[in-house]
Amino acid sequence: MTTLINEQGLRVDGRRFDQLRPFKLEVGVLRNADGSAYIEMGKNKIMAAVYGPKEVHPKHQTLPDRCLLRCRYHMSPFSVDTRKNPAPSRREIEISKILREALEPALILGDYPRTAIDVYLEVLQSDGGSRCAGLTAAALALADAGINMRDLVVACAAGKLGGQIVLDLSDVEDKEGDADLPVAIMPNLNQVTLLQLDGMMTGEEFKTAFEMALQGCKTLYDAQKATLISKYFGKAEPPQQEVQEGPEE
Amino acid sequence: MPGVTRKYVVPGELIVDGKYRLGANVYANQDKVYSTRVGLAEISRGEVRVIPLSGVYIPRVDDFVIGKITDYSAFAWEVDIASCFLAFLPAQSVFGRDYSPAQDSMLDRFKVGDLIAAKIAAFDRTRDPLVSVSGPGLGLINKGEIVKIMSTKVPRLIGKKGSMIKTVEAGTGCRLSIGQNGLIVVMGPPEGIAKALETIRLIEQEAHTADLTQKVEALLAESGGA
Amino acid sequence: MAIGKKPIVVEQIRKTRMAEFLSKGRRLSGRGLLDYRPIKIETGLIEKASGSAKVSIGNTQVIAGVKVEMGTPFPDTPDQGLLIVNTEVLPISSRNAEPGPPSEDAIELARVVDRGIRESKMIDLKKLCLLPGKKVLAVFIDVSVLDIDGNLFDTISYACTAALATAKIRKYDVANEEVKATEEMVPLPIRTTPISVTMARIEDVLIVDPDLEEEALMDARLTLASDHDDNICAGQKGCPGGFTVEQIMQARDTALVKGKENRDLLKREIGLA
Repeated sequence: MTTLINEQGLRVDGRRFDQLRPFKLEVGVLRNADGSAYIEMGKNKIMAAVYGPKEVHPKHQTLPDRCLLRCRYHMSPFSVDTRKNPAPSRREIEISKILREALEPALILGDYPRTAIDVYLEVLQSDGGSRCAGLTAAALALADAGINMRDLVVACAAGKLGGQIVLDLSDVEDKEGDADLPVAIMPNLNQVTLLQLDGMMTGEEFKTAFEMALQGCKTLYDAQKATLISKYFGKAEPPQQEVQEGPEE
Repeated sequence: MPGVTRKYVVPGELIVDGKYRLGANVYANQDKVYSTRVGLAEISRGEVRVIPLSGVYIPRVDDFVIGKITDYSAFAWEVDIASCFLAFLPAQSVFGRDYSPAQDSMLDRFKVGDLIAAKIAAFDRTRDPLVSVSGPGLGLINKGEIVKIMSTKVPRLIGKKGSMIKTVEAGTGCRLSIGQNGLIVVMGPPEGIAKALETIRLIEQEAHTADLTQKVEALLAESGGA
Repeated sequence: MAIGKKPIVVEQIRKTRMAEFLSKGRRLSGRGLLDYRPIKIETGLIEKASGSAKVSIGNTQVIAGVKVEMGTPFPDTPDQGLLIVNTEVLPISSRNAEPGPPSEDAIELARVVDRGIRESKMIDLKKLCLLPGKKVLAVFIDVSVLDIDGNLFDTISYACTAALATAKIRKYDVANEEVKATEEMVPLPIRTTPISVTMARIEDVLIVDPDLEEEALMDARLTLASDHDDNICAGQKGCPGGFTVEQIMQARDTALVKGKENRDLLKREIGLA
C-alpha cells in the first residue's frame, strides 16, 4: 500500500489534511442548454447541463401540481483508466438517484406544474469525489437556467486515511483509504441534502469528518457565488439609479 | 432615487432581515428574505423583489407574444411561444364558432413555420396556454427578421413608457414588434435591421447596467445608423 | 438532420431570407458559401486517455478520447489490431437528444465517422499486432457530443483525427511468444490524416459546413473524406433530396480544396506541421 500521509503530514499530492484540491468553476458554457456549468476538481472534469422547465415526454409522467425533476449522471468511456462501457452502470444509476434527491429540496418545483427539468452530468474525466463535484456544478447550471431555487446546493467529501481525518479525497485516497463521507448542503438553509458513508469511523471521527466536509462546502459555496456574480454582472457595481424601466407585472 | 437599496444576488442568498412586502422572485423564512434567482435585488418602499437575469418565459393572460406555428390538428394549431408550455390557437377562434374541419382549410390561414403576433387568451396552472390572433396588430407576420432575447430582459428593451423602443426605432428606421416572451420581429430596410439587431444584443447584454440608454444612443450614433 | 425525435421548424420568414441571401451568393450568418465557421482544436485535455481532443466548429462542440487495450484479433484478420469508433450524442448536447438508444441519425453519424478513419487506413493496424492470431492492441476511440449547432460529421471527424494523431501509447516488447509492457511511450502508427468535408445543397446552391438552421432547410447533404494524397476515402449522401452529376463533381473539388485547408489547420493546431 502507498503511504497516504508522509512524516511531514502531507498527502500524496502534497496537500495538508484539511486542504481542498485545486478547482475551477465556469457557468454558461454550452449554447443549447438552458443552463450549464463546468467544474474541474483535482482531475475531475465534469460538464453539467440543465434543460427545462419544459414539456414532459413521455406525457404520462406529467405531475399535475409540480415539476418533474430528472437527473442523469454519466461517465464518458474515456473518463477512467480502463475504458468504461457507455451503457449506464448500476453505480451511475444510484448516483443519479441520490443527486436528484440532493437537488430536489433546493428547487421550488411547485412553481412549474406539468413541466420537467432534466439535469445532465457528464463526467469527462473522473477522479475521487466526482458526485460531489458534479452536484456543485449542477446547482450552478440550475441557477444559470433561471429556475426558482430556495438555495444553492454544494457538496464536498471528507474521509479517513490511516486514522487521520482528511478533506476531499482524491482517487487513490478514496481507493486505498479507510472511509469516505460525501456531504451536500444547502448553505443558507443549513440543511444536509446528501450524505453517504463508505467505510468505518468512530462516532468522534464521524463528527470531525462531517464538520470538515461542511468547511469544504463553505469554501466551494463562496466560489459558486463568485462564479455566478462574475458571469452575470462582471465587475460592475450594482447601479444606484432605477434599472427596471418597463411596464411592471 | 432615495431609499432604494440594490445588490446582486444568487438563489438562496439573504437579501434583507425584517418585515417586508414580498415582490417577485423572493421568499421569506422567519423574517429573513431570500432570493430565488440570479439577479438584481431591490429594496424600496417596504418591498423586496429581485429582477432576474435568466429564466424561461411563463405566460400571463393578455401578454402580447410572438409565436411560431409548429404543428396543427383538425381543431387547433400548436404554437411555440418560447415557454415551458406549448400554446394552442383554436381553429374556432380564427374561423368563428361555425368552424368545420370538413369545410375550412387550416392551411389557408397558417402553415407550419409561420410566425404570428398573438395574445395569451387563457392560461392557468392546470392547462396549457391558449392564444388568440383577433385584435388590432395581431395575426400573421410575413416579413422582417426574428430575434430572441431572454424574456426577463424585455422590460428593459421596451423602456419606461416605451422610451427604449422609440430610441431604437428612431435610430434604425425599423419597426420593432416585441413579444413579452422575448421574441422580437424587426421590420425595415436591411441596413436598419442589422443595426437594430446589434442594438438589441447590446441591450440584452447590458440590461442590468445603469447607463444603458447612453450606451444605446452611442451605438446608434456610430456610422451605419439609418 | 434531426438527431432527436422532433424535426426543427424554421420560421417561414427565415426561409425566405435564406433563399434571398443564397441567391446572391451569401449566407444569413454573413459567411461565404464555402467558408467554415471558426474551428478550434485543443488536445491532451483528458490525462487519463492515451489521446484526446476537444473540437468546436462554431457552436458545435465534441470531445474524443482514445483508449488502448489488449485484445484478440478477428479470425479473418489475425495479423491486425482492432479499431473501434463509438459516438454518443449525449443528452446535454441538445433539447432534442434524450437518453436512451441512439436514433438512426446518430447511428449513421457514428458509422460515417468510423468509415472515414478506417478506410483512409489512418492507423496501420498491422503494426498493432503483437502475437498473430492471439494478441493485438485494440484502439477505442469514443466521442462525446457536448453541443450541437450543425455539422457534427466534420466536428467529430476532426476530433477523432486530432486525438489519434496526438495519442501516446505504451510500447510493448515481444520475445518468445511473450508480450511485455515497457516504460516507453510511443505514438500510434499513423499513416495519414483523413479530413471530411460536409456540404449541403439548399435549392441549387452548395454550401460547406451547414449550421443547425441550414441543416433543417437543406435538400441534400454530402460528406466526403480525403487523405493527404487527395484520395477520397469515404463518402455519404444524406437527406431525401438529390444532387446533379455536376454538383457531385463540384462537391468533389470543394472537398479536396477545403479538406486540404482544414488538414493544414488541424496539423498546425496539434503541432504536427
